[in-house]
Amino acid sequence: MSATRKLGGSLRNDDGRFGLKVTAPAAILLAVLLLIPTVLTILYSLHDVPAHGRSLGPFVGLENYTIVLGSSVFWRSAWVTFLFSVGFVVLSTLFGLAMALLLNQHFIGRGLARALLIIPWATPWLMIGILWKWFADGSVGGLNAVLLMMGATTDYHDFLSDPNSALVVTIVAAVWRQASFAGILLLAGLQTLPGDLNEAASLDGANLWQRFRNITLPWLRPALVTVTVLNIIYAFLQFDVIFAMTQGGPGDATQVLSILIYRQLFGVTQIGLGSALAVILGFVALAGGLITVKLLYARGSQPA
Amino acid sequence: MKTNKNNMAGGLDRRAFLKAGGATAMAALMAPGLVGRAEAAGFTGSLDMLAWDFQPDMIKTLVGEWTAKGNPAVNLAVIPNVGYSPALQTRLRGGDAIDLYYNFAYNSQKFVDQGWASKLNGLPGVDDMVADMFESARPAYVNASGDIISAPYFSAVHMMHYNQRMLKDAGIAAAPQTLKEIYDASKTLKDKKIVDAPYVAYWVKEFCEEYLHTYLLNEGVTAFDAAGKPVFADDPKTVGVFEWWQAMYQEGLAAKSVLNTDPGKLANQMAQGEAAFFVLHHYFLTSIRALGGPESANVMQSPIGGSNFTFQIGEVLQLGAGEDAPRREAAWDLMKFYGWKDSAGKFTVFNQWAKAAGLAAPYPGFFKDPDVIAAFPDYYDLPLISKTFETGSKVVPARTLPWYPDFQARVGDVVHALLLGQATPAQTVEDLTAAANSAQKGRSL
Repeated sequence: MSATRKLGGSLRNDDGRFGLKVTAPAAILLAVLLLIPTVLTILYSLHDVPAHGRSLGPFVGLENYTIVLGSSVFWRSAWVTFLFSVGFVVLSTLFGLAMALLLNQHFIGRGLARALLIIPWATPWLMIGILWKWFADGSVGGLNAVLLMMGATTDYHDFLSDPNSALVVTIVAAVWRQASFAGILLLAGLQTLPGDLNEAASLDGANLWQRFRNITLPWLRPALVTVTVLNIIYAFLQFDVIFAMTQGGPGDATQVLSILIYRQLFGVTQIGLGSALAVILGFVALAGGLITVKLLYARGSQPA
Repeated sequence: MKTNKNNMAGGLDRRAFLKAGGATAMAALMAPGLVGRAEAAGFTGSLDMLAWDFQPDMIKTLVGEWTAKGNPAVNLAVIPNVGYSPALQTRLRGGDAIDLYYNFAYNSQKFVDQGWASKLNGLPGVDDMVADMFESARPAYVNASGDIISAPYFSAVHMMHYNQRMLKDAGIAAAPQTLKEIYDASKTLKDKKIVDAPYVAYWVKEFCEEYLHTYLLNEGVTAFDAAGKPVFADDPKTVGVFEWWQAMYQEGLAAKSVLNTDPGKLANQMAQGEAAFFVLHHYFLTSIRALGGPESANVMQSPIGGSNFTFQIGEVLQLGAGEDAPRREAAWDLMKFYGWKDSAGKFTVFNQWAKAAGLAAPYPGFFKDPDVIAAFPDYYDLPLISKTFETGSKVVPARTLPWYPDFQARVGDVVHALLLGQATPAQTVEDLTAAANSAQKGRSL
């Protein structure tokens, strides 16, 4: 008995050492790429860092945070970030789910359609921004042509010069890519759903909506949580698409926090303020993700 | 781009260096134009230069010409124009030592203060370069303390581009100059359905600050005094300018797209006959004509602002902060070649830029140089541009103050709010004043 316990302990120790060795390179890389910049950003946010970056500059405590939180520019940008995030998360999750449900059906050309789903996801964010900037252009853009053909508009409209439509179009552009990612993950989740569950429910008289609500959705909950959390993080950190399309304009209509951070850190080199903004945004994104996980799991972790 | 290191020529001892120095001095006495070339001969490594992406092949050719004269090789890096300033600052902050680089004039003093750029005082020939400039241009390169902080990369004056054919069709005898004349002419053109949105301005966020000066100077208002006080707030004409901006945009006399379009597209609108007026740097006439649109040949240039001033701009060359003397002297020699004259005293580089894009230099001699005169196409009224540089335009010295980039970054949001009707002209004056004051105070969003 004692010998067995000894052997078990030794194996566990060996496993632990092996695990440590295997994960060490990744852990070191993560520390270098994530931990050090995070600590530095927090340190910068507590100092009045000179632009040249050769020293931390004078320690100012929470003064940078006080300036940021007392600025109407920050609150306006936070509101734009919130609007963008809500639109982005809701639409990309819903469209992703719709695409996954559609591509889970049997139809001719399903393989091709599934392959096409990858294309937006395989396109870099910046390219998406540039493509959509041209697509939404007021004089030569295809979006106007499409809307005219559909009868949704009677004249060409400069979407990106209008503060209301600019935000909507940037959301749609970003959703176009993210929905495909959500679709891929959710489709993977759907493919693990045993077909006999739906068949049994049909035999019991459940209609399409009831089957979707009581079988498909609960089955997809883990994948949906992952998709939603990732979408929230992508939403709060979104920069490329908006910057390529509007650079935060017109006015401050699309100036999300990441663009404000860029402007502070790299445009006017207010390193302390920019870092305080980055810390706040990081905290908000983290909190948003955690709250979502909690909410989604709180709605019953048991499949119905 | 690599970090500076002492690149004294291998085997070049002190004696040889002194000999080279003596030869330099001799050459300087005999032919002032040769000063730079002899200095560059004391350095045999290669220089690092950073430029933004405007005609990169031309830049390569120009620095190649300098190297071909027996000067050091130049490692040229070209990065996109959009986001140039953030990229440059990130590189410098990261310790990248660049010997010579393009910069925006409003960044110059800040860069010197941060130790990213050198003052040029005391460098051989620099006083001659400054003396060679239009008096109106000097405050852009020499600060109030007398420090020379940069050299010209190119200069331009804001001019009115107008479609002569359209004005004639509308029964307008001469190009409008004052704000009221421009408004009336635009209204007439729109009402007569000659063109739907007659006026285009490059009203993107990053450029609003430059227009602020252009239009205020047109009305006789210099926005900041030499100490940087925002005196535009005290002048009632400022509100008038903002009322005019708002009216032009809100009444549809300017296309809605001007808030986020690029100047190339605006030039094309002029070439295609989709606009009748375009206020921007004089050299945009080259673009409009070169586009070869149905209206290109009808687009002419005239002064703006009536008897007042227009805005003179110029982006700059910045000498890096490296302390290696021979390297620095070689970089200064390249700087002189690129931003002033070649070793033979000719405006070789500026002449090429004039040919290629209609860019100008802030030197009276440039406009008298027969090669330069030949380089500008006939459709340019070169004496008018020269006169505008000399007596019809101003730089705003406060633009080189170290806090100015902060203000520059804020103007776009405020002006867009005005154009979109989200703020009144009076509120805009207040917001811009607050932006200037908080930029001077430091650390604010």
